[in-house]
Amino acid sequence: MTDATNADLPYSEPAGVKKGSLMTQDARTRKRNAAEKRFKAYGVIAISIGMLMLLVLVYNIISRGTGAFQQTFVTLDVELSAERLDKVGNRDINDLRKVSTFGYAPLLREAFEAKVAEHGIETDLSSKDMAGILSPSAPALLRNYVLSTPSVIGETIKFEFLASGRVDGYLKDRVTRDSIAEDKNISPAQLDFVDQLLEVGFVEKRFNMNFITGADSSDARPEAAGMGVSMLGSLFMMLVVLALALPIGVAASIYLEEFAPKNWITDIIEVNISNLAAVPSIVFGILGLAVFINYMHLPNSAPLVGGLVLTLMTLPTIIISTRASLKAVPPSIRDAALGVGASKMQSVFHHVLPLAAPGILTGTIIGLAQALGETAPLLLIGMVGFIASNPPDSIASGLLDPNSAMPAQIYEWAKRSDPAFYERAWGGIIILLGFLITMNTIAVILRRRFERRW
Amino acid sequence: MNDMRILERDVDAKAIKIAARNVQVFYGDNHAIKDVDVDIEDKTVTAFIGPSGCGKSTFLRCLNRMNDTIDVCRVEGDIAIDGEDIYDKRVDPVQLRAKVGMVFQKPNPFPKSIYDNVAYGPRIHGLAQNKAELDEIVEHSLRSAAIWDEVKDRLSAPGTGLSGGQQQRLCIARAVATQPEVLLMDEPCSALDPIATAQVEELIDDLRQNFSVVIVTHSMQQAARVSQKTAFFHLGNLVEYGETGTIFTNPVDPRTESYITGRIG
Repeated sequence: MTDATNADLPYSEPAGVKKGSLMTQDARTRKRNAAEKRFKAYGVIAISIGMLMLLVLVYNIISRGTGAFQQTFVTLDVELSAERLDKVGNRDINDLRKVSTFGYAPLLREAFEAKVAEHGIETDLSSKDMAGILSPSAPALLRNYVLSTPSVIGETIKFEFLASGRVDGYLKDRVTRDSIAEDKNISPAQLDFVDQLLEVGFVEKRFNMNFITGADSSDARPEAAGMGVSMLGSLFMMLVVLALALPIGVAASIYLEEFAPKNWITDIIEVNISNLAAVPSIVFGILGLAVFINYMHLPNSAPLVGGLVLTLMTLPTIIISTRASLKAVPPSIRDAALGVGASKMQSVFHHVLPLAAPGILTGTIIGLAQALGETAPLLLIGMVGFIASNPPDSIASGLLDPNSAMPAQIYEWAKRSDPAFYERAWGGIIILLGFLITMNTIAVILRRRFERRW
Repeated sequence: MNDMRILERDVDAKAIKIAARNVQVFYGDNHAIKDVDVDIEDKTVTAFIGPSGCGKSTFLRCLNRMNDTIDVCRVEGDIAIDGEDIYDKRVDPVQLRAKVGMVFQKPNPFPKSIYDNVAYGPRIHGLAQNKAELDEIVEHSLRSAAIWDEVKDRLSAPGTGLSGGQQQRLCIARAVATQPEVLLMDEPCSALDPIATAQVEELIDDLRQNFSVVIVTHSMQQAARVSQKTAFFHLGNLVEYGETGTIFTNPVDPRTESYITGRIG
């Protein structure tokens, strides 16, 4: 063999380069490693963006919403003078009822006058303007108290009244003297008066249980609005969803997965279930309106109807997750049961279902959490914009009386004009997220706790 | 292989337990079992051998109608147990499976306690009137599966916590507990180590006293060790069926000989 023939070979190496040393990376390896590094960097960037968004979201919600959990209260000693409240003097409840809310307003004015005199507060305000720092609901509250316990007439009792939304906003830095320049509801002089009361400790900001337990209020009284009643509305809806969607969904999945013959009919059913999961929720809302309210004449705005609509929406989720967890049970378990002479149903109910139960529960809880946060269908069946002032007093009234739901309540507050309601919308979101996080945590714990390995 | 031992094996003629005639099995369009005729004797271990995909497991699963659970599977021909056609319309496969127990390739104990694993069959078939009888069945079954001594102190421990060989013997105990007449075993030792395999094989030999045992195996040595009769399947056909000793030492069909000597398979 000569040098000339050697040079003609197609794969000859250039002279002087040592081939295949492990100490240096060849061009291909370098390129490959660089690509890998780039890919990792993309991943880190993507995750960072996601985390940043989450942080911004959480910061926003917390910074805007926590205000709703605090409320400004004004402490007043009110003399419930018999002269004004019970002119007849026999404490007859029917006579007491004749004194309207307006009849109680002077008591508050007198209480303010007394307080100013007692603590030597210098102010040019009229007693009517002083009472203007209270929530418009204050006289009604006083009246309700007196009517429930008429024996207190004649005594002087210490009350804590909600301050008006503007005063509350002033203490939360939402309202300033500049921002109220055009505001007819409050004057700078009233804010000065609030400052004076603050100094002597008769105005204070503290935790507001009413926001969690109370009912929604009218536009004029944002300070009295609470989530409680709409929370009960959500609770009753969830009960309906759980009572219907879980048994129907599980029964449907077991039949489809274990018993149904595999043919074109079951194929079509399967495709349709997957498609249903992707149907926009507002479509379910209009279906509920057409079928449950217009055709079946169920009451408007009722949690029962909301629950039925959300059941339709949750069913595909539950069916899909239940089928997935049934599929995850190894066929050897079914074989084992059939092999000892168990019937198909015994093998499913004694062995497959218990093993699939954690997965089914997880899917159900996630489906419920989805339903809990759903707003669109509720708009169409009238569960929004309605103010339920009292919590339902029985299960039937809980299901059938008009009510709202948490997300619908939040939507309702967010669209009102008073910024005090806006703050409550954020606060409501904190409560709703609290529920969702709790439910998802339970789902995760269940999955961890009961997860089985074969 | 100890040929001498095989030749000495006692092979008295016994009553026919299962008679299969003209059995055809189709998976959709695939003709998996073609024209199989076989007579399985009572109180005998019958081994099905053959290369992978030859249909031996499929045929085994025909014997307790486990193939019913596969939608596309269709069985033709006659299979009779004690003279009764098991594919007759009047036969309930669930009742049949109580009579023809099965042990699977992979040990598949229920994820329940050892006790519940064994007691499950008797419970659903109502074999025990009370707790004491059930206890007795469980103990007897575990004893006949040669695992009693190992588990008697932890009957409430989960069956899935046992070792592979123990799990398989537990599965055998579970199958025995329903008091079947025939025991089908689908490669019961393929997931086991040699020591566990030896234990299970010994057990199979004991079980022969009471049951007709049909075992599918990939291991020709195993077939030679445990069985009295051997059937060789190839491409869906039953090529040769006879005394184990004859099959292994003096096969009639050239395909059997090729397989046994390792030239095909």
